[in-house]
Amino acid sequence: MKKNHHRIPDSETEAEAEANNRQMGRRNFLKFGAASLAASGISSANATDVLLPENSESVSVDKSQIITSKVDILVVGGGSAGTIAAIQAGRTGASTMVMERASYLGGMTTRGGVCYPGLFDAWGKQIIDGVCWELITECVKMDGGTLPDFSKVAKRHWMNQIHINQFLFYILAEEKCTQAGVEIAYHESPQQIKETEDGWQVDCVGFGTQRRVICKQIIDCTGGAEMAGMLGFPRLRSEVRQPGSIQFLLGKANNPGRPTSDKGAGLLHAIYVHGADSTNSRTVTEASITGRKAVLDKMRKTNQRLMHLQSEPGFRESYRIQGDTVITVQDYTSGRHFDDAICYAFYPVDLHTKNGVKPKPLKPGIVPTIPLSALIPKGSRNLIVAGRCVSSDQLANSGLRVQAPCMAMGQAAACAASLAVKHGTTPGEVPLKEIHALLEKHGAIVPKKN
Amino acid sequence: MLFVTLAVTGLMGFFLPFSLLTVSVHSLIGFVFIAAIGFHIKNNFRKLRSYFSNRTALVLLVLVISFIAIILYQPAPVKAILSLSSNKGPALDHFEIQANRMTYNYSPAPHYHIQLDFKGGSSFKPEKPPYIAIWIENKSGYHIKSLYHSEQADFEKLLPYWHHKRAEYLKNKQLNGKKKKDAESSDDLDALSSATDNYSFDPKDYIVPEDKAKESPYRVMIEINLSGDGNEHYEDQPSLVYRVEVDNKDPRSYQVLEIVGFPKDEVVDGETKWSLYYADETITTARDLYDSAMLQIDRSPASKP
Repeated sequence: MKKNHHRIPDSETEAEAEANNRQMGRRNFLKFGAASLAASGISSANATDVLLPENSESVSVDKSQIITSKVDILVVGGGSAGTIAAIQAGRTGASTMVMERASYLGGMTTRGGVCYPGLFDAWGKQIIDGVCWELITECVKMDGGTLPDFSKVAKRHWMNQIHINQFLFYILAEEKCTQAGVEIAYHESPQQIKETEDGWQVDCVGFGTQRRVICKQIIDCTGGAEMAGMLGFPRLRSEVRQPGSIQFLLGKANNPGRPTSDKGAGLLHAIYVHGADSTNSRTVTEASITGRKAVLDKMRKTNQRLMHLQSEPGFRESYRIQGDTVITVQDYTSGRHFDDAICYAFYPVDLHTKNGVKPKPLKPGIVPTIPLSALIPKGSRNLIVAGRCVSSDQLANSGLRVQAPCMAMGQAAACAASLAVKHGTTPGEVPLKEIHALLEKHGAIVPKKN
Repeated sequence: MLFVTLAVTGLMGFFLPFSLLTVSVHSLIGFVFIAAIGFHIKNNFRKLRSYFSNRTALVLLVLVISFIAIILYQPAPVKAILSLSSNKGPALDHFEIQANRMTYNYSPAPHYHIQLDFKGGSSFKPEKPPYIAIWIENKSGYHIKSLYHSEQADFEKLLPYWHHKRAEYLKNKQLNGKKKKDAESSDDLDALSSATDNYSFDPKDYIVPEDKAKESPYRVMIEINLSGDGNEHYEDQPSLVYRVEVDNKDPRSYQVLEIVGFPKDEVVDGETKWSLYYADETITTARDLYDSAMLQIDRSPASKP
């Protein structure tokens, strides 16, 4: 399964130009080194040259042209779930593209500043492993950080979250995507989607880019189930949603990957942004401006320097899909083992409100599971979701929405989608045994009945 | 001598954490004292009768009776004085070991009675009972009040987690005021996924709070250890810690204590810290000291120990 992407030329001249460009080859690099920096008056932090692969598509784009990318799997959203889904899909051999509206991967883990993913363990044992754990442990090791001892009883649930360097995390995630043959499309978002005979045609835009993606499977990792919404599948949304949190640091230097204090969960300071909604660019803009204004107010009040600020608030909730299974809070708190479970989750019921949050821990021994049928929008084909838009009620979602289960869902969704591509079917019709076997082959932990 | 013993044990009962030894000495000397009063009345009956015909003596008698009534009814100022005690007012507790069980009763208020019932397991032997400590923690894991602990030799060594918690408590109690201030000054920096620490160290804020709005859940904790119960992994298996969370806003009559783990010490920044670790298959017979531990809380007005 090789990826095949090309542009649709608008004229014969352009077709010739493109052919010439192709002849130059991908290995023909454009030097962007010290000389050009000097000429432009830009000073460089060091003397190392950076080589940008020559690619006519990326250096000069005619707005009238539409790039066409033909892939097996399109992962929409490069956040906690999408990043892992993309790496996993690439590693199974499916040609994969991950599309991310921002300029780097990681989503809430990086952009939102929730750079302490968890929870990967429950009651003394690791419950989430695989691609995400590989990425996280590599990040921590390279950063000289420490991993929690899962055999130790955490006094508070957040004590077993992993402190990671958010900047290193997304660079490593990018590297793993590239190594897995995943094409990354930053600054782009789907605008239109159309069902085709064997999949989807997704029209996307970024600044200076119009792209048509022809794919067999879509993994919707947008957080708010945007693809499912565009296709008109029913989505769930709570009347009162949880606030977002804008993260920043006042008065002391940010030390990425290290806790600022042992008295709190986070690495940074945070202020609630009530009403924060990640549904579209307008609501994200509004939440970002509101959050930043609150930071400014805080600075004026405390007379402290602003040392760090995340680019947008961490969003907790927007839309969720409605799947054949809707995980209820009873399912979650009782640790129901679904017949089609594909991964574990573990986190308190953690609903943030205007009055703050009072996490309700799970009872001893309880480890909830996530079923495949909660990742597939009801009535859909060739579409699967992963991440916080999992089919669930609001209270169950308050525990399911955190990074570790989102990442585990990403890996599981990618295995299901890859096998669907292989069998020419839809993820919901792939034999569960095959999904489990593929997950285990790639290091994931598959829920087992006691 | 009787006066001095009564006074000293009384003050110990007020200022120090609950001790069965203190209460026993105080009670026994109290009985001897009552007997001495009886002999005194018998030997000096005539003199006393003439004394009480005096009006001043009658006034004094009324004053003493009024004082006793005030102590019994406990109006607010009396409660305030009693709340300064380490035992926080009139608490009745009792620990009993029977052939196949251990029972602990505690009544911090007339309408609130706690009973912990441990049904003995296969490792339980009443002639060689395990060491046990029972205490209350808040949700942040801070020790609030020690309810009971075995007083056999080396109990602090054999119940290290509780001992460490109690030592921390005494230290933190002094810092309480400062922490409260810090917590109040960081109002809107608390938008992360963690509960606000509860800095109160007063048991009455948890068990029988006067202000219902300020009521907070609490945990009943026990540490249990049988000395010399070695197995193939340990020369002497470690103590085990169990807990149950009590939320008076969501009252339950019966709750089961669940295992949390076993304690292990480590030196962090030159300071010895005790943490709990999940009990794995290396812990064998220590798990069978009791078959089940049930917490029963009777919140009815007529509840009695």
